[in-house]
Amino acid sequence: MNYFKQLTIVTLWEYRRFFKPKNELLGIVIMIMVSFLFYFGGKYALTESEEKQTLLVMENTDSTLVSNLAAHFVVNTIKPTEKQDFLNRIQIKKDGLLLESVDDGFMLYSYKKTKTEKKIRHVLDQFVQLRTMNNLGLNHTVLQKVLQKAEVSEKYFYSENSKGRTIMAYFFAVLMLLAVFLSFAYQFVAITGEKQLKITEQIVSAIKPQVWMDGKILGITLTGLSSMLTYTVIGILGGLLYFQFTGAPVAQILEFIHLPSIVLFICFSLAGILIWNSLLAAVAATITDPNNSGKSSLMLLPILFVVSSFLVMRNPDSQFSVFLSWFPLTSSTAMPMRQAVTEVSFLEIAGALLLLFATFYFFRILAAKIFRVSILISGKEPGFNEIVKLFNQKQ
Amino acid sequence: MLSNHSNSALTVDKLNKTFKNIKAVSEISFSIQPGDIFAFLGPNGAGKTTTLRILLDIIRADSGKITWNLNGKKDRLPDASQIGYLPEERGLYTDLPVIRSLIYLASIRGMDAHDARRSAIEWLDRLELADRAKEKLQTLSKGNQQKIQFVASILHKPAFAILDEPFSGLDPLNQEKFIGYIKDLQQQGTTILLSSHQMHLVEKIAGKVFFINKGKELMSGALHEIYEKFGINQSIEIRFHGDIPHEKIDNLTGLSEFQPFDGGLVKISFKSGYALNKILAEISTLDGIQAINTTKADLHEIFINLVNDQIP
Repeated sequence: MNYFKQLTIVTLWEYRRFFKPKNELLGIVIMIMVSFLFYFGGKYALTESEEKQTLLVMENTDSTLVSNLAAHFVVNTIKPTEKQDFLNRIQIKKDGLLLESVDDGFMLYSYKKTKTEKKIRHVLDQFVQLRTMNNLGLNHTVLQKVLQKAEVSEKYFYSENSKGRTIMAYFFAVLMLLAVFLSFAYQFVAITGEKQLKITEQIVSAIKPQVWMDGKILGITLTGLSSMLTYTVIGILGGLLYFQFTGAPVAQILEFIHLPSIVLFICFSLAGILIWNSLLAAVAATITDPNNSGKSSLMLLPILFVVSSFLVMRNPDSQFSVFLSWFPLTSSTAMPMRQAVTEVSFLEIAGALLLLFATFYFFRILAAKIFRVSILISGKEPGFNEIVKLFNQKQ
Repeated sequence: MLSNHSNSALTVDKLNKTFKNIKAVSEISFSIQPGDIFAFLGPNGAGKTTTLRILLDIIRADSGKITWNLNGKKDRLPDASQIGYLPEERGLYTDLPVIRSLIYLASIRGMDAHDARRSAIEWLDRLELADRAKEKLQTLSKGNQQKIQFVASILHKPAFAILDEPFSGLDPLNQEKFIGYIKDLQQQGTTILLSSHQMHLVEKIAGKVFFINKGKELMSGALHEIYEKFGINQSIEIRFHGDIPHEKIDNLTGLSEFQPFDGGLVKISFKSGYALNKILAEISTLDGIQAINTTKADLHEIFINLVNDQIP
């Protein structure tokens, strides 16, 4: 039986085992529910009460300031002799606000810091500005001119780094992160689960470890890609709905779609997911008991690399960004991101992609070799030193 | 060593395997004729499973030669479709329906999915498990799971089946059923290599046996030859009038082992090859003998004798 036939059987088996449309649908429903909850719940929680809060000011407070404050608060005045009583009451009742003018500044008393302080500060800022203007003999028009910003017209010769493409770069990076996260879980279950169920020996008596490993990597990658696709479609539909509700033209969503970039993102994401799946598979192959393995934490390593590639957006032309966009463990997200915000030559893109796929090719061989030497180890989990030793031994 | 290699389905020549400092397999050679049931016998840790794993290329030998010759095609390793394997470490996908696992395992051995389904249903019907085909394996009893495991290893109708400890974990009733399945498999033309430490079951079906201990061959040959050579008159049952003379029995020169029973009965096993006249001469020195009965030693006793012979 040839390699490709067996590979197809194993790949489809793994894919069907882990990609469950019912679960995917349930995940989407939960996601929509959570989004609604956040949107409407947040809106409700953040909506301020229309009832004005009471603010006490000392009776000697400037009348203009009092009238300005009255636009936002119910302002009551108190005598200096009542101040201490009120301060005591604030601590007992854990409520209340008192504003006092101190020299050229102000003193605000409150039980704890709240958002109200920001509102009061805003009124005070405006009051102080006006008072200063009056003291300096300036009128409002003069002040506006003083604060006027420089007028600069922009003309760029490279204009491909549109906002749409940047958003798309982030979108794909997040999707890839999602796919790697999912793969992490599936790959772990697929490999350690089979070892625990003791099926492995039966399987590898029929197929070569390389076929087994390749089938697992491809099957799990397909699962991750299917989830990516599902969430992309949901994302686009969500975007369309958003534009529909906000009344913005659908053309705005089209700005985000740049076909060559999408193809590029898909290629890099595919290679990236394959690479990480190979590495995760290699780590999982050395684990005998996932509940007690010290190596489980290594499975979080991809997240570190994928997230670090986001640094490219800060300075895409720096040497560090160029390195990240070439280095196979980060290039799958870093290169598409760099390409979205700066000019990258075709040769550079092709080179990084080639390097990515070449790395995947060798990683899968490495994963199968590690699996082969770890396959019959049960009981005590082999350390990395042991695995290296086993590598050097004849099997 | 077993000879007649030219038409053998499998020929193994001077196989060696060492793990760290432990010699797991040492100079093992044997051959299996097409259609035979060949039993690989030995205690736990004797090197049986290691040898079987080497045959299947799951692990590699340090030295030695393996030649497969199935359906007229000589090879170092035959196509997966030609081989069936029941590993000692049992396991299936417990969270999946029985039929799905069976079809998958037959598919990776080259069987068409439709044929695998049909064959699986036939086997499940025979095992009286047809109504549970779509149930998850974990809902089945341990005995039934064992049956499914067996079916998974031979569903694709292999030319050669390797069954590692096929009777382990089975109750006596199911052990007998498994003996029947293995015999049927042989009648269908499958050559069978089985490994076991349950020798009383093996002797019911095996044509040839290979004794292995500590990685080395103790003896091999056709079962009837082994009985002729080592089995007859090697064990004697003696009933005494009064107490069993333990001390005197213990001092018998050719003694291998003895087992006392109630009512003054004792079963004495002598070393392999120990002549009957010598045995009778030694027995005559014992007092109070009421009755003597010579028995044919079973494989278990022959194996014990062979191991004892090895001990200096």
